[in-house]
Order: sequence, then structure tokens, then C-alpha cells
Amino acid sequence: MRAYLLSRLGQTVLVVFLSLTAVFFLMRLGGDPVLLFLPMDIQAKDLTEFRERLGFNDPVAVQYGRFVGRAVRGDFGESLRYQQDALGLVLERLPATLYLAVAALGLTFLVAVPVGVLSAVRRGSLFDFFGMGAAVLGQAVPGFWLGLMMIYLFSVRLGWLPTGGTGSALHFVMPCVVLASFYAARMARLTRSSVLDTLNEEFVLTARAKGLAERVVIAKHALKNSAIPIVTLAGLDTGQLLGGAVITETIFAWPGLGRLTVQALLNRDFPVVLAAVFVFSVTYTLINLVVDLLYGWLDPRTRRQGARA
Amino acid sequence: MTTFIGRHGRGVLGLIIAALVVVAAGAAPLLVAHDPVQSDFAVSLKPPGTPGHPLGTDQLGRDLLARVLYGARVALFIGLCCVLLTAVVGGLLGLLAGYFEGWLGAVLMRVADVQLSFPFILLALTINAIVGLGLRNIIVSLSVAGWVVYARVVRGEVLSVKEREFVHAAQALGLGRARLLFRHILPNVAPTIVIVASLQFAQFIVAEAAISFLGFGVQPPMPAWGSMLSESRDYLYVAWWLAAFPGAALALTALGINLVGDWLRDVLDPKFRV
Amino acid sequence: MTRFTTLLTALAVLLGLAASAPAQDRARTKEIVVAFAAEPRTLLPDTIVDWTTNNMVEHMYDRLVDRDPKTYKPSPMLATGWKVINDTTWEFALRQNVKFHNGEPFNAQSVKATMDYIKDPANKTHYLPRWALVKEVQIVNDHTVRFVTEKPWPGLIDRIAGSDFLPMPPKALKEQGVQALAAKPIGTGAFRFVQWVRDEKLVVERNPDYWQTPAEASRVTFRFIPEFSARLAALLAGEIDIMKDVPPQNVEMLEKSGKARLRATVSSRINYLALVNLKPGPMQDLRVRKAIHAAVNVDELIQQVLKGRATKMCGPLSPINVDYSPKLQCVKHDPAQAQALFKEAGVDPTKLQLTLDTPSGRYPLDKDISLAIAAQLQRVGIKTNVVVNEWGTHLDKIKNRTTGDMFFLGWGPALDAQNTIEQLFLGKQTYSSYGNNAPLEAKINQAVTIVDPRKRLEAWAEIQQMVRDEVPWVFLWQQHDLYGVANWIEWTPRADERIWMYEAKLAR
Repeated sequence: MRAYLLSRLGQTVLVVFLSLTAVFFLMRLGGDPVLLFLPMDIQAKDLTEFRERLGFNDPVAVQYGRFVGRAVRGDFGESLRYQQDALGLVLERLPATLYLAVAALGLTFLVAVPVGVLSAVRRGSLFDFFGMGAAVLGQAVPGFWLGLMMIYLFSVRLGWLPTGGTGSALHFVMPCVVLASFYAARMARLTRSSVLDTLNEEFVLTARAKGLAERVVIAKHALKNSAIPIVTLAGLDTGQLLGGAVITETIFAWPGLGRLTVQALLNRDFPVVLAAVFVFSVTYTLINLVVDLLYGWLDPRTRRQGARA
Repeated sequence: MTTFIGRHGRGVLGLIIAALVVVAAGAAPLLVAHDPVQSDFAVSLKPPGTPGHPLGTDQLGRDLLARVLYGARVALFIGLCCVLLTAVVGGLLGLLAGYFEGWLGAVLMRVADVQLSFPFILLALTINAIVGLGLRNIIVSLSVAGWVVYARVVRGEVLSVKEREFVHAAQALGLGRARLLFRHILPNVAPTIVIVASLQFAQFIVAEAAISFLGFGVQPPMPAWGSMLSESRDYLYVAWWLAAFPGAALALTALGINLVGDWLRDVLDPKFRV
Repeated sequence: MTRFTTLLTALAVLLGLAASAPAQDRARTKEIVVAFAAEPRTLLPDTIVDWTTNNMVEHMYDRLVDRDPKTYKPSPMLATGWKVINDTTWEFALRQNVKFHNGEPFNAQSVKATMDYIKDPANKTHYLPRWALVKEVQIVNDHTVRFVTEKPWPGLIDRIAGSDFLPMPPKALKEQGVQALAAKPIGTGAFRFVQWVRDEKLVVERNPDYWQTPAEASRVTFRFIPEFSARLAALLAGEIDIMKDVPPQNVEMLEKSGKARLRATVSSRINYLALVNLKPGPMQDLRVRKAIHAAVNVDELIQQVLKGRATKMCGPLSPINVDYSPKLQCVKHDPAQAQALFKEAGVDPTKLQLTLDTPSGRYPLDKDISLAIAAQLQRVGIKTNVVVNEWGTHLDKIKNRTTGDMFFLGWGPALDAQNTIEQLFLGKQTYSSYGNNAPLEAKINQAVTIVDPRKRLEAWAEIQQMVRDEVPWVFLWQQHDLYGVANWIEWTPRADERIWMYEAKLAR
């Protein structure tokens, strides 16, 4: 077990390192970052001086070396836009996004899994039809469109919910729903098909033949085994949720990491982008690790093999 | 009959919708007289029902129905290009990685991990921030962000197909590797590729909308539902039709294609899981 | 703070703080909410040149010299008077009995400490290049200072009247350091710092010891809402009271909403279409430039696209600009004249393929205007390819001279000639589109050194005429700044785009 954990951690480090390198060089291709931070009446020689001072005039290899040297100590430099520590800025915003992602994930499970299970159990019924209809629609409607329509209806017209920002449980409602809609829809459909498959498997037929109550059959046997794909998707989705939060955070003025990253990309704030990539990578790979460990618990057959395909 | 509807009803519905979209896209010049890029300030922001403009006009006086129909072309084009690119590249890489295992597979999976650890939208945005805006660049960024799914899934499939009897038999018979790969393994993996492609198609179209929303959209004056939705934000409260109709078109198209994809999955491989 | 406590605090902030109170309650407690699209980049004055940042910082810090909200000429604030002692020395008399929020007195030490802060390279302020000509600040006595410059700088008063010099507290700077001041701003302003929740809001409260009558508003909250339609929704829902840049098409709906109304002003910010002559191409021919200007119908653009919300300009400076010369004549819209000019230049407009670079969403309807201009040029047969750039790319292209034949840009606040003409019509300037005109450059370089005000005005008048005749731009307009203001607030917007809640009067 320990060897497995160590090897996974080693892989995490490798993945994070590769991500940072890739983004580092990608961003260097993107044009002059310094222009966007300085006033428009800047003289050419002052521009050069700023670039010099920030180290952008050095050859790329040198800049990269300097970056790696500092990054291993947790120093991603200062944000070009805010003149503040880049990693500090990113970590400041991370909790808001995490809370939103967790709430959305919670909503997803609370709604999607029961709907999926019931749809599978009551296959072909009206519930199934409407449930899956809503799910397919949820996957098709773009999140930001839904968000804007909701703001118009619930904030401007009805005045029930605030248009954005944070401050109370009410502020969570619309962002969560918008963020979760796509993933809940997908999860519902996946749950349904997964449960359907399991319900037809041999061991379930055996359990039924033994005369066990239907509810026990579903809860004890079907669910645990259909959980694997659900957990996989949840793992993948958490990573995507962090990114999907970008649009939700922009519309609802949610002070999170997604919004910060998009703005940093638009503003060519290299240090912040790199710090954000770092945080995303680490979070995502850690989530994968948790998912794999969950696999082991859910399905002992995979325990020995370790990593997924 | 009821079993037919039960089993294939959704697929048929999806096919009908998809067919409608394709027809609308193809027959656009026949269905509307207006040029989607022609601006006419005298009729800017007219509501639906205005004579000559059944869906209304936008802020530059361009006919909305024309833009929605021509926008279908752009949407289908983006979806098709992205799907082809990702399926071919991702599928091929997955095929090779799955069959040849060893270091190629390992490297590929590491690259896939690296890419997956970065949220899809942000990756596409980063690429667009570098290569610029425009239709071609959006296809590039979406494809680069999207090939990973194919590689992963196809590799998994190849790994399992490889263990099957007929492959062992073919190898015993001394078939060359290329032949084995392309004439025997690929056809068995093809259904998977098709299913993933159909699921991704709609996602690409919706992703274009998201990228346009964040500011990297298709160049004007080309009509694309995503950038139309993005532009409609400024007029949300005075011209609801600018957001409603492109949004509905987008949702409907995604719906139709998703339904077809679901049906394909049910028909081709009932045990398939995402 | 440990990581754990940070997480807990974040959660508490998300859930615990009361949601913003509705408009009626705020009218009673006299709290105003202003929405910006972005948060301040820093709370330190004199550090970063950014309109959003300065708007908020200047609620807590005062200017040394202000600009009169009607004439835009320099007017007293923390300095009560000024005069030129000799070619390289300006003397300022400072206001007495002014205190910083921490009790420190405002005096000559503060002015000197502020200039020292700006000129210290370790502070990396954007204002360093702007004050490069100042050699030092001399303290004559507690309430008199002298700015000594390296070369004659008659434009110093224009530079100092505005956000470029906001006095800082010397004792706090020395004892607590820059970082502490950044976290907890201490100025002489009408409002005191309360809290800054990053990326969410900045809260300031009334300073009862202000050297003028204290503000009517008891508290001002700045909220950061990046999405435009969400800002408008917040205004319509009564969550915020003031927002900027309402698109012209939304004005009617706003006025009918019953919650807020439109407050408009002619801005000092100008928009123009640059006709780039810095690289070989059709734009290097004066006749072609004149023809293009004649082909564009500026009035139609203003009426149709902006719904009348812009004020046409005939030259490089607007009437608000203190150095404006009223004698300029507009280039007339005349398609026949355009055709004649093209013929004279030996250019066939139907064979012309031009490229127009434009940003999107940076200036009011910039993209739509560029498309409309392309449509107008089409009427004389010219094919124009409009390239929409993301803002950073747009600036990149202009600086690297890789734009197309034309580009759309704005400039402002453009309140004096030197900061407009010198920046935009010398070939070597970063964002210039025009050059290769030695006589003009010589005249500009000469004009900035003239000390006598009357001679200066004359020199700038001559230069404006020269620039107008060269048609380096299609001269477009001054923007109108359209603000949505809640019904219970009386506030008149300023042309220099300053949003200062000290000036807000609250209806009973």
C-alpha cells in the first residue's frame, strides 16, 4: 500500500511539473505581457526598462530555469497586475471555488443519483421519460445562457434571489444550480444506465431468486456495484467542475479561482496563470488518487492491480 | 410497436431533429432572402413578427432568422471538424498506444493526464489566447483540448479486444501487425469511436458558445450561435429574441445529437459505459 | 493564519456576512453601492495607473491639485495656490489644518515623502516615468513646497492636476512601511477605509473630520461584478446604485424601470479611427486618407449606432481639452469628393482591400462601429476586412506596428494637448499610428517647452490645424459616458470619468 501511494505521489509530481512546463512555454508564445499592465502613455524606453526589471528580456531558457528554481520553493513570483504574491492570490481564491464545486457536487448527487436509480428501476415509466428528458435537456442547454435567464427571472423580475456575489446561503442557489446542471444531467443518465446493467447481472438475479426484498436487492447489491462508473465520473467531473466554475463565477460575480484564472489569461498575468495551473493540477491529481482508493474499497478486484487503465 | 418506440423512439426523435438542423443549414439561402451579414441600421433591434423579419433583427439590423439558419452551418462545421480531427488523431494514438503498450502507451497516458488535469475550458482559452480568435483557431483549440478522451477510451478498448480469441488466432496465423491492427482490431473498436464522437459533437458546439462568451469568439460578421449569444448579453433586457432564438437553436441541436448518440450506444454496444 | 483558519474564514465570509440590504434600507442609512467591473489592483496611491483603481483609491486619498468639474482647469485641493518661481521651479502653497485618517498632519513633509515614494525604483510605481522630469521637492516651510525640475516643464501643472499626485502620510510610511499602508490605506480623503474583501467588495465610511464639509453618504460599498448584464440586473433589482457604461439601446428601458435612471455626460475620452502611415501602403498617401475620411459618414455612425450618444470632433483635441482650438473645420462627408480624391491619387477603390483592427467591448460599441465603418466604405467600393482583437492582442499589434491599414482606438482622459498630441503623433511613441513628418514633430517638441500660456495656446492651435490637415485619423467623437444611477441619489457624472461619492447628494 505504501509503495503504491508513493508511486502515485511520484506520478503526481511528474504530471504537475509537465503541466507547468507546457503552460510556461505556451504563454511565452502569446505576446508581450508587459503592455497590458502599464499605462498607455508609456514611453518605449520605460517599457524596455520594465521588461528588463521583470526579467522578460532574458532568453527563454534562462527565464525557465529561474522559474523552476523559484517554483520548487513555492514562489511563483508576483502578479503583474496586482503586485502581490501570485500563489498567495490563487490560494486566497481557492476556497470560494472549492465550496461552490463541493456544493454543486453535493447537489448533483442529491438529485442525479436518486433520479437515475428510480428511472432505472421504473424503466419505461412516465418518471423515466421526464427524468431522462430533463437530463438530456440539462446537457444541451449552455450553462451561461441558463444563468442569465435565471438572473433575469429570479432576481430582476421576482426579486427572490440576489444577482450575485456572496454573503448568504441564498447566494449559493443559482450558481450551484447553473454549475451542477450539466454534470447532474450526465450523472443521472450514467446512473440509470449503470444501474440497469447491474440489475441484469447474474448476482442480482441470484439475490432475487433467494427471495430478498427488492429494496435490499437494489441497495445492497446493485448500488455498490454500479457505483464504480459513477465514482469515476464524479472524479473526472470534480476536476471539470473546477474549470466549469469559470463561467458561473463570471456571471454571478463569485470571487473564485476560475474567474481569477480567466482574467489572468486575458491579462497575460503569467505568474498567476502558472500558479493557478499548479493548484489545478495538484487538486485534480489528488482527487484522482482518492477516486482510485475508493475503487479499491468498492471493488476488491481492482485493489491488487492499482491504477486504472 | 410500443417496444419499437421504447427502444428506438428517442433515436428517431434525435434523428429527426438532427435532420432538421442539417436541412436548415444546407437550405438556408433558399429559406431566407436576407443576407446574414448585411447590416441595415434603419431596422435595428426590431422584435419578432416585424414584416420581413419573422424572428426580428439584431443591433446592426441583420435578420435574425437568417443568422440563426446560417449559424447552423457554422455550428455543424465546427462540430464536424472538431470531431473528425479528434477522432482521427485521438483514435489513432489510442490504437497505437493500446496495441504496442510499453513506453508509447505510458508516455501517451502521462500526456493525457497532464492535459486532463487542466480544465477543458481553460485549456481551450489558453490556446486561443495565443493563436488568436477566429473560426479556424477555435477548431484548433477545441480539438487540442478534446483528443484526450478518444485516446483514453480507445486504448482501453484495444487493450480488452487484444485479449480476444480471434486476435490470438490471427497472430498465430502470422498476420502482419499493420494488417492486424487496421483490419481486425479497428473494426471492433470503431463502434466505441462512433459513440464517443456522437457524444462529443454536441459538446464541441456548446463549448464554442462558452469560448465566445468569455471573449474569444468567431470573427464577425460571421454568424455563429455562440458569439451571437455572447453579443446578446448587452441587449438582454431590451431584445430578448437575440438570446432566445440562438440559444434555443443551440439547445435543440445539442439535444438532437445527444439523442442520436444515446441511441447509437444502446444499439451498438449495450454494455458500453462512458 | 494557518491554512485551516483561512478556509474557515472563507466559509464564514461566504455564509456569515449579511446579504446586501435592499435599496430602501440603504436610502435610510445613507449607504451607496457602486458597481465596477473589476477590483482595484492595489490600494496604494501613486502606484498603478488604472482608472478603476484610482476611482476607489481617491475616495480615501485627496489630490494635491484637482480639476474643476465644469471647466476642467486645475483647481485647488490640498494645494491652495501655485506659481512659477523660475524656469525650473514651481511653488505650491499647502492647505492648513488638514489631517490624515491616523491623525498625522498634512504638510510639506507629506508632499516630499510622496515624491520620494514615487521616485524610489523599489516601489515599482507606474508614475515614475511621469515624474521623471522632477529633480526634487524642496521644503520651504511647513506649508510651502517647491518642485524643482531638470528642464523647463510648463506642463507640470497639467500633470499634477489629477490622480498623478496623491499625498501619503510620511510617518506611517516610514514607521509601518509600504505593505502596511497597502493593507490599510491612510489618506486625507472624504472616506475612511473599512474593509476589502478581495474580488468582491471594498467598503469605506464617511470621514467626519474631513477638511471640507463631510460627505452626505455615511458608507460606500464598491462591488465588483465582471459580467455586464449581471451589473444591469443588479441595478434593476435595486442591489446596486451606480454603474457605468449602459449601452445606448438600454437607456429607454432603464428610464422606465422606476428603480434608476440615466445620467449622461460628454466624456473627455475620445475615439478615433487611425489611418496608419507608419508602414508602406495606401495610407501613406495624404489623398487616400482624405478620401477615406470623406467616405465615412460620422454623423450616421453617431445617429444609428450610438443613438446620438457621442459628440463629433473635427480634430485631435476635444472642446473639453484645455488647449483646444475652436477654429478647426470638420472634414465633410462627401462620397463624390472621395471618388475624385481616389482618382487623383491613382487608386481604384474597388480594387482596394483594407484591414481594420478593432477591440471588442473596450469602448462603447467599438466592434459594431468598426463593422459599420466597413459597411460605409463598401458603398464607395472598398472591401474592408474587420479583425476583432482581444484587448491585449490589440495593444500588441499597435505597438509592434502589425495592425492592418486602420485601427480603432480610444484615448483618455484627454484633458490637455501634451498628453494627447505628443503621445499620438510622434512616430516613436508606443501607440502612435502616424509619423514621418519632421516639421510637425519639430513643432510639437518645441511647443511642450513654451512657458508663456498665451504663446503655448497659439503653438498648440497651429499644431492642431496641421494635424487636422494631415488627416492621420478619421476624426470620430468624444464618448458619452452613460451611467445608471438609482433614483434616490443625485449625482452628476464628470467628463474626466471620476466617480467620487463625495459629490453624491441623497434625496430625502
